[in-house]
Amino acid sequence: MDIHDVSDDLEIKVKKYQRGQGADLESLKDKKLKGQLAVKEDLFKKSANAAAKAEKWLMQTEEGRLEPEGLEKTWRFSQQSIANEVDVASRKNQFDLVLPDLGPYTLDYTSSGRYMVSAGRKGHLSIIDLHTLKPIKDMQVGETVRDAVFLHNELFFAAAQKKYTYIYNRAGSELHCLKEHGSVLKLQFLKNHFLLSSINKFGQLHYQDITTGQMIGNYRTGLGRSDVLQLNPYNSVLASGHSGGTVSMWKPTSPAPLVKMLCHRGPVTAIAFHSNGHLMATAGMDKKLKIWDLRKYKAVQTLPGMAKSLDFSQKGMLAASTGSFVQVLATSDSQDYSRYMIHTMAKGYQISKVLFRPYEDVLGIGHSSGLSSILIPGSGEPNFDSWVANPYETLKQRREKEVRVLLDKLPPESIMLDPTQIGNLRNTRKQEKQTKEEKEAEKAAAVAAAKNVSLKKKTKGRSKPSKVARKKQEGIELAKRSFVEQNKEDGAAKKKQKRITDASDLPAALQPFVSRKRS
Amino acid sequence: MAETKRKRNVAPATNRNNNNKKKGGKQSNWKKGPHLPNALQKQLDSLNRNEEEDIIQSDEDLYEYGEKLPEEESQKNRAYDPVENFEYELPEDFEDEDVASDDEDGDDGVKKGDHDGDDEDDDDDYDDEKHARMLQDITGLPGAAFEGKKKKNNVIVYESYPEAESNPTHDINNDGRVTIDDFLNPLHGKSGFSKLRKDVARLDKKSKSILPPLPKPQQEKIDRKTAYIQANKRLTEYEHLVKKNREAQTIYFNEDIDLGNSTVGAIVSEFKPRTDFEMKMDLLINAKELSDAHQSDGARLLELNQVSAEDVKERQDRLAKMRNLLFRDELKLKRIKNIKSKTYRRLLKKDQSKVGSIDTEMDPEVAKELAEKQEFKRAEERMTLKHKNTSKWAKRIKKRGLDAQDDGTRAAISEQLQQHALLTRKRNSMHDDDDSSDVSMDDDDDDDDVISGDDDDDEASKLKFLEKGKKRTLELLEEDDDAPKSGLLSLPFMARGQKKKKDAADEEARLALQEFESSLKQLEGDDDLNNNTGLVGGRKVFGAQKKPVSQSKIKVNNKDRDNYFDNSESEDDADVTEDVKDKRDRIITQKDDTIDTDILREESEVGHDPLFDDISKVSGPKIAHEVSLFSTNISKKSKDKANKSKAKAKKSKVAELASSKETDIEHGDEDRYTDGEARMVDGVITSGTDYELPSQDDLIKRAFAGDDVEGDFEMAKQEVMNEENPEPEKPVLLPGWGEWTHKQERRGLPSWMVEEHERAKKKRDADLKKRPDAHLKHVIISEKVDKKAEKLQMKVLPYPFKNKEHFEQSNRMPLGPEFNPATALGALNRPEVVKKPGVSIQPIKLKKGKK
Repeated sequence: MDIHDVSDDLEIKVKKYQRGQGADLESLKDKKLKGQLAVKEDLFKKSANAAAKAEKWLMQTEEGRLEPEGLEKTWRFSQQSIANEVDVASRKNQFDLVLPDLGPYTLDYTSSGRYMVSAGRKGHLSIIDLHTLKPIKDMQVGETVRDAVFLHNELFFAAAQKKYTYIYNRAGSELHCLKEHGSVLKLQFLKNHFLLSSINKFGQLHYQDITTGQMIGNYRTGLGRSDVLQLNPYNSVLASGHSGGTVSMWKPTSPAPLVKMLCHRGPVTAIAFHSNGHLMATAGMDKKLKIWDLRKYKAVQTLPGMAKSLDFSQKGMLAASTGSFVQVLATSDSQDYSRYMIHTMAKGYQISKVLFRPYEDVLGIGHSSGLSSILIPGSGEPNFDSWVANPYETLKQRREKEVRVLLDKLPPESIMLDPTQIGNLRNTRKQEKQTKEEKEAEKAAAVAAAKNVSLKKKTKGRSKPSKVARKKQEGIELAKRSFVEQNKEDGAAKKKQKRITDASDLPAALQPFVSRKRS
Repeated sequence: MAETKRKRNVAPATNRNNNNKKKGGKQSNWKKGPHLPNALQKQLDSLNRNEEEDIIQSDEDLYEYGEKLPEEESQKNRAYDPVENFEYELPEDFEDEDVASDDEDGDDGVKKGDHDGDDEDDDDDYDDEKHARMLQDITGLPGAAFEGKKKKNNVIVYESYPEAESNPTHDINNDGRVTIDDFLNPLHGKSGFSKLRKDVARLDKKSKSILPPLPKPQQEKIDRKTAYIQANKRLTEYEHLVKKNREAQTIYFNEDIDLGNSTVGAIVSEFKPRTDFEMKMDLLINAKELSDAHQSDGARLLELNQVSAEDVKERQDRLAKMRNLLFRDELKLKRIKNIKSKTYRRLLKKDQSKVGSIDTEMDPEVAKELAEKQEFKRAEERMTLKHKNTSKWAKRIKKRGLDAQDDGTRAAISEQLQQHALLTRKRNSMHDDDDSSDVSMDDDDDDDDVISGDDDDDEASKLKFLEKGKKRTLELLEEDDDAPKSGLLSLPFMARGQKKKKDAADEEARLALQEFESSLKQLEGDDDLNNNTGLVGGRKVFGAQKKPVSQSKIKVNNKDRDNYFDNSESEDDADVTEDVKDKRDRIITQKDDTIDTDILREESEVGHDPLFDDISKVSGPKIAHEVSLFSTNISKKSKDKANKSKAKAKKSKVAELASSKETDIEHGDEDRYTDGEARMVDGVITSGTDYELPSQDDLIKRAFAGDDVEGDFEMAKQEVMNEENPEPEKPVLLPGWGEWTHKQERRGLPSWMVEEHERAKKKRDADLKKRPDAHLKHVIISEKVDKKAEKLQMKVLPYPFKNKEHFEQSNRMPLGPEFNPATALGALNRPEVVKKPGVSIQPIKLKKGKK
């Protein structure tokens, strides 16, 4: 065992599970705390080691990749050539569903990647079990369907239809009609928070809790109609792209966008988030595809080309589609994305959505005449955690999981840009200064209170009117004095500030003297 | 000569000193001795007084002087040292010996050194002698008798010496110290002596001179010091335990205490019968026979189950007895039920009411009855005000004045008032306001039932009913006349109001009466109405026979309605209360319905054509009901209101028309601009179509949306910045403030204002620089605080932490079972103290073995 411990990859994994460096305990003066923290740190290390070992031994499957030999290029490989090499089970994942009548199609997978819901623009909704490749439900709603998403499991899905959004169950019966959302253009489901979010024709963003039915947030973006809405899986923040080239990020408890950034010169056409939450890809009408580092809010890479739809795979590959052409970008060191694979649909097919299937090396494509599924080696996470998402879930497991996730449901306010900040110290707010009027009012109130104090009736001679009056006056003075002192303090602060500013105002020749005196 | 004489004289005196100590006590007795003749006595007294006094004085002086003076001197010289004082007394002893040898007073020895008063002394002694002799001569008594006086004085003087001799001072003189042997020797031969001597011997061996004790503070200090050292030593014994506990992540208390059995089975198995009953049960249950039977095949159980014939007999007897008792009780109850005596019933009721008060809490029906009774009482009280000092008795008492009454009466009065308050207190109930309306509603319902169910009621009952109603109204009209002559209601304005009300009611009643009459007439076949028939427009007439009936009906209804409007008009003038209105409503609705049913019945009688019959049946009640509804609705409003609503309706109609026109126009406009497809789609203006045609503005906006996105964004950023860090207000002068002339204008703003503004500006700039998006030109990061999310973060650092980094880094790892292996999970989440509930924590015990 020890021999294995020394290996580098294990160390890397341990580091990953330690989630950052421990505090520098040497600087601590409190011995007791130091001891406690040291013990805690040891436990953390132990835990991280155990987790790393578990990962090493239990998650042995490694993702594959197209490996070119010599002058070969990975993007030269066609789907046919891949199909010849892979096993039957994988070959099953290559298919084309030709549905020319009710096109263009959009699609969504469950988090385990087993089920797919597809929605044809002209009212065709279907759920397909991708293991058996049999449709579970196939129905026509007879009106425009703009988007469809699964809710927490395959039993329910929401479809954004012509006028309202509806929730259906697996059998296709309509459970709810969500009228408040308006005519929705794009839906997203926040599965940890059980929030169904949507953006409608008027650029209004809605958050609805699907467990209680409560409308959590209803905010207008104020940036016009948009059908670009994407969830950041890392922190559950929603990003919407607008015609002004801006991308704004939202959370359900604040009416103002958390971040608003100008990404493109033309309207934003697509957004995608890397699962680690650090990378965002945007595409605009200005024929650019940008990859952003969300920690710095700076573009790390700008690629040429349009994209109607973008998606990051679990392993960080980026699929982009334009017209009938799909391109997959990959990176070896998460720095520079370069072309990895390409796929061209039959001419005239307009691709409306590309989506990687979780836990499989599969890219789903929804286009104007049906659905396609192609193999992208190395795109999916090879090891699934059955506690998180189990593609081979049994009925009982699904039921238990439903209860568990409901118990673990997070409140909407826990969505923030940096979720690690939960439980940490709050940033000190700027102290709200009292205005002059408020101060005056407070003073007046204090004086009035002092005036209204009823004095106790004392023994003979001690509560003469004159004495009572004097006592009252004293009380009033006292009440006033405290305010005067406050003012003085303010004044002192001001003076101090003034001196400092004076020093910086001095001519350069004199400044050295001032600084010396001060130090 | 004189010397020898004196010696002779003094010698007996010394003897006296040695032997006769107790003679001093007889001094007074001696004074009362043989008396002299008065003359002599006088002379003697005159002589003696001087002499005796002199002697005594001199003696005492001498003695006291001798004693006191050295003491005083010693005190002065040696600062009260007791030991030296003791030593100083030695010379006195020495003197004593001198006295003994020289036959001289101690005084002499003392005096020797001081002054040469020998002659005087001699003189004194000589005087004494002479005096004694003289007394002897005069009285003829022996001189010794007179010397006793002197002796007495001497006794006092010498008394101390023998005492001193018995004291150990004598021994001190001999060998300096007292040994323990001196104390022990006298004990020789007594019990325990040997032991004592042994102890002493042992002491002697180790004997050491004992130092005098230290001063108290010093002593205490030393005590404390030693105590501290000891305590410290004892405390440090615990140190390792305390250290262990302090360093432990978790402290476990009372780990080893066994709380005993906790399962039901365990508790049951430990059960032991204690009481007699339990024992008996136990004996039966755990009888050997039974258990054996259970263990074997169980056939024996059947045998055990057998019941003896006696038992069965006994049971049957018991049952028979019970049945018999029941039967007798039943008979008794029957008999009681048949009693017809009123007195008996009254008494019974009284008894029951006493018992019933208890029952009310148990039985809901009884409670309900009681509540009804109570309600009745309350209503009665409100009406009669029986308990509000209105009785003759109360009035009389009030007249005489309450103060003049005795306590009992006053109590009675107060009790009465209390009862009144209790009975008239307003109760919170939901029905108070709605009572009347509810009733009317009920009436309506009832009437409906009548209509639907009792179509074939005979005429007589209807007649009766109507007449009854009429009679009642007449009665009402007559009844209302008596007005109160005293009290609040007798006040003029109240009276006026009452009258007004009554008038209104009267009119109401009269109208009702009219209705009754008219309906009566109708019932009686008065064809006045039928004659005044007219055509009803737009309706087919099927037969001549039918026409009058239906018309009459309509007419009646019309008339009703007319009445209605009349009524409402009159209402406008009169100040009518809600109650009256409601009442009227009720009456009217009643009447309407009754009329309708009558008509129906008539029709059914007259009608031949089944088809028409049907129609009339259907249409008749419908119309009538509509009318009645209409009437009830209207009656609640004033006519003005009705007018208004009508006007409104008209207006709305007009508006509708206008709007439709407008929409038409709009349609036209749209049609003009849009293509054919749109026209096809936009058949109806309200239909929500999927595809919305963008307006010209929209199109332009969309086409040029990407025009100056950067500029737009910058503006947006500026806006956000201004919102989150507002720009300081520009200093403004109040017009006229501080302006006598135009001086102010020339000078500009006061410097402090400008400075303040500058400072605020600088502060804002600094704040803006601190923003996270300060260096990102194309990013706005909101700094707004989300108040809902604030609760997820710490306000202040928790206690032991002083540094934010330390806290946050200690917080970085998730603690859940999903993120940690089982080995670390327990340790990560263990509480600080693990303790069994219900077990008290014992103080730390030191285990000797461990160190």
